[in-house]
Amino acid sequence: MGASGSGKTSMRSMIFSNNPASLTSRLGATIDVEQNHVRFLGDLILNLWDCGGQDAFMDSYLTTQRPTIFSHVGVMIYVFDVETREMNKDLEYYRDCLEGLTQFSKEANVFLLVHKMDLVREGERAIVFQRKVAELEKASGETAVKVYGTSIFDESLYKAWSSIVNTLIPNARNLSKHLRIFAEACSATEVVLFERTTFLVIATSSPADSSESFSSDPVAVHALDPKRYERTSELIKSFKQSCSRLREEFNSLELELAEFTAVLDEMTKNTYVLVVVHNPVIETAAIKMNIQMARRKFEELQGDSLVS
Amino acid sequence: MMSSSSQSYVNAAKHGQNISVQRTKILLLGTRRSGKTSIQQVLFHHLPAKQTFYLEPTMRVAKHEFDTVIPLEIWDCPGNITVDSLGASLADFATIIFVIDIRDLYQQPVSKLVEFIVAACQVNPDINFEVFVHKAEKLQEDDKIENFRQIHERVVDRLADESPEYEQVPLNFHLTSVYDHSLQEAFSRVLHKLIDSLPYLEDLLNVFCLNTSSPKAFLFDTASKLYLATDSSPVDQATHNLCCDYLQMLTSFGPLYKSNAEGDIRAHLFSPTPTPPPTATPSPPSFSTSPSSTLKACVQSPPHTPSNLPLDARNAKPLFYPSAATSLSPSHPGTTLSYHLVTPHLALLALLPTTIYDMRRGLVEWNVVWFREGVREIWEVEKERSNAEGV
Ligand SMILES: Nc1nc2c(ncn2[C@@H]2O[C@H](COP(=O)(O)OP(=O)(O)OP(=O)(O)O)[C@@H](O)[C@H]2O)c(=O)[nH]1
Ligand SMILES: Nc1nc2c(ncn2[C@@H]2O[C@H](COP(=O)(O)OP(=O)(O)O)[C@@H](O)[C@H]2O)c(=O)[nH]1
Ligand SMILES: [Mg+2]
Repeated sequence: MGASGSGKTSMRSMIFSNNPASLTSRLGATIDVEQNHVRFLGDLILNLWDCGGQDAFMDSYLTTQRPTIFSHVGVMIYVFDVETREMNKDLEYYRDCLEGLTQFSKEANVFLLVHKMDLVREGERAIVFQRKVAELEKASGETAVKVYGTSIFDESLYKAWSSIVNTLIPNARNLSKHLRIFAEACSATEVVLFERTTFLVIATSSPADSSESFSSDPVAVHALDPKRYERTSELIKSFKQSCSRLREEFNSLELELAEFTAVLDEMTKNTYVLVVVHNPVIETAAIKMNIQMARRKFEELQGDSLVS
Repeated sequence: MMSSSSQSYVNAAKHGQNISVQRTKILLLGTRRSGKTSIQQVLFHHLPAKQTFYLEPTMRVAKHEFDTVIPLEIWDCPGNITVDSLGASLADFATIIFVIDIRDLYQQPVSKLVEFIVAACQVNPDINFEVFVHKAEKLQEDDKIENFRQIHERVVDRLADESPEYEQVPLNFHLTSVYDHSLQEAFSRVLHKLIDSLPYLEDLLNVFCLNTSSPKAFLFDTASKLYLATDSSPVDQATHNLCCDYLQMLTSFGPLYKSNAEGDIRAHLFSPTPTPPPTATPSPPSFSTSPSSTLKACVQSPPHTPSNLPLDARNAKPLFYPSAATSLSPSHPGTTLSYHLVTPHLALLALLPTTIYDMRRGLVEWNVVWFREGVREIWEVEKERSNAEGV
């Protein structure tokens, strides 16, 4: 959901259709609702409703189409253009949508994206974002919401969408636990699991909540960049696009850089794993072997984690 | 090749001591807002293309130094500069790059270019003229070709009007844009004409390709993403783009998982000092050997396969050289794009058949070592020369 031109279709085409940001300017306004079934992790079918944001459509979603639109909603993502001049109208529609959800899909998760953050000067982004968060939380009343600042031109989009899809993977914590065991077996600092087509992060070996981390936690010891996950998604996605321009397909990557050693390889049919090692003695060949040996286990786990 | 008249002396203070380095000078010309500063900033200062929008107009000549296999000095000029207001003789420059906005078909840029060509030819017959028909991504393919052709034609006509003798002046035209890698490709080609040791670098790459069945290999400057040399097979634009994107990804990946722990052991692993090749058999290809003997030395080197060695033995490698590889499909038998840093700022990028990379890793690594030693030697010679001539 979100006003016309706020960027809903652009995001969808980047995350789920692997289109580059530069092509989004060619998108036309979405007419009514565009429904998309996207396969995520192979067996999880996401039914994505991209709702055209022009007033006439919005009015009809809230009236005649109301039960159709707001029933069986797992997640509502409401997109606000950070530069909108009609914030009050936006907020009014937003409140009406929340009401629709309360009526038909009480359990739905609500994500609010303050989009096109790239248009705000870099120095002012934090302040502008904080102000929007306060405004949006106030408008949300009782409903718990998660707010993200996003732009199709940087990694922030991947951070928000990773968090969105994570609410749809019931057993992510269990995956995390096994990644931790696997990381130990590889002498890895960190292991990250990505969904294959979107390259969104679905689990990591590090505790999701940093307050859970303890001083011997390898990630804490190395004080890694806090934006590394979403940046990795962004980097790999854009490299995959470069490959496809040559009609090639990206398979795997091994790095023995001055900073670290890493292997990015297929874990299961629907996931990729990134194993990051700082110990200079560990060779990529050993990591690859470990990945190969862990494949069966993770196929099973993934099967389990989706049955909910 | 450069003549000595196209070179001059610049003093550069380095590491506290005064070492005179002789820099090869490149003059960047063009009318206002044609994109000169953008080109310079995107190539040598990592400015993202989109941010060139915010660049201020250049008011005075700005000299930028850039060190790669040869030390360069790039002069970014204001749009209204003339031969007289330049403040240096055109004899000092090895190359003039003239930037024309592709949508700008009018008299002004062409007259200005012709004025500089005429003046330069009188004092420096060996100077290279390069015309960047810039902002090419703004036009559709057909218009792009048509405008490119028209600009070319106008320049040649105007020169012929000036005097028939100028018809012989070699001009090189390139289509460029900061939004894709056409800029890197064009500038690489400009650079190739200035590197005296180019044939030796090319030989090394040819030998590498021959020995490893590689269809294409480049020696890249990692900071600017310019390639200093490639093997003799033609450069396909798509392959060049992929290599640039790959390099971009690798340089962005490094800092992401960099350890910020104190005293991280990896930091000290990379040593830029030359090491002898792993065995004492034929001496490494040297700068002075003729192409054919270089070739023989490498072809004869026994292809040994350290991948058969126990892991411990391979861990014993005394020095650490960053490397990476990515495998691609479905091309058969699959392509692996390999990356090996050979000096702190130069990397060998090669397309390899995946079968070779997987099954004969030792052969590849062996050839990388040879290549690395060869490049190091050339690099040393270049450095000595620019220092010696600078004193
Ligand atoms: N600067 C900037 N522009 C963006 C961003 N995301 C999308 N846009 C641009 O915004 C315009 C509208 O995007 P769409 O995705 O079609 O908008 P929409 O929300 O689907 O609009 P409707 O379908 O009419 O509801 C396009 O020109 C995009 O290129 C962003 O993060 N930053
Ligand atoms: N579309 C497009 N614009 C460019 C390109 N290169 C530079 N520009 C724009 O051209 C304008 C002038 O660039 P600048 O480098 O300041 O020109 P200078 O006066 O020649 O130094 C800036 O707004 C740049 O963003 C390009 O390849 N494509
Ligand atoms: Mg739309």
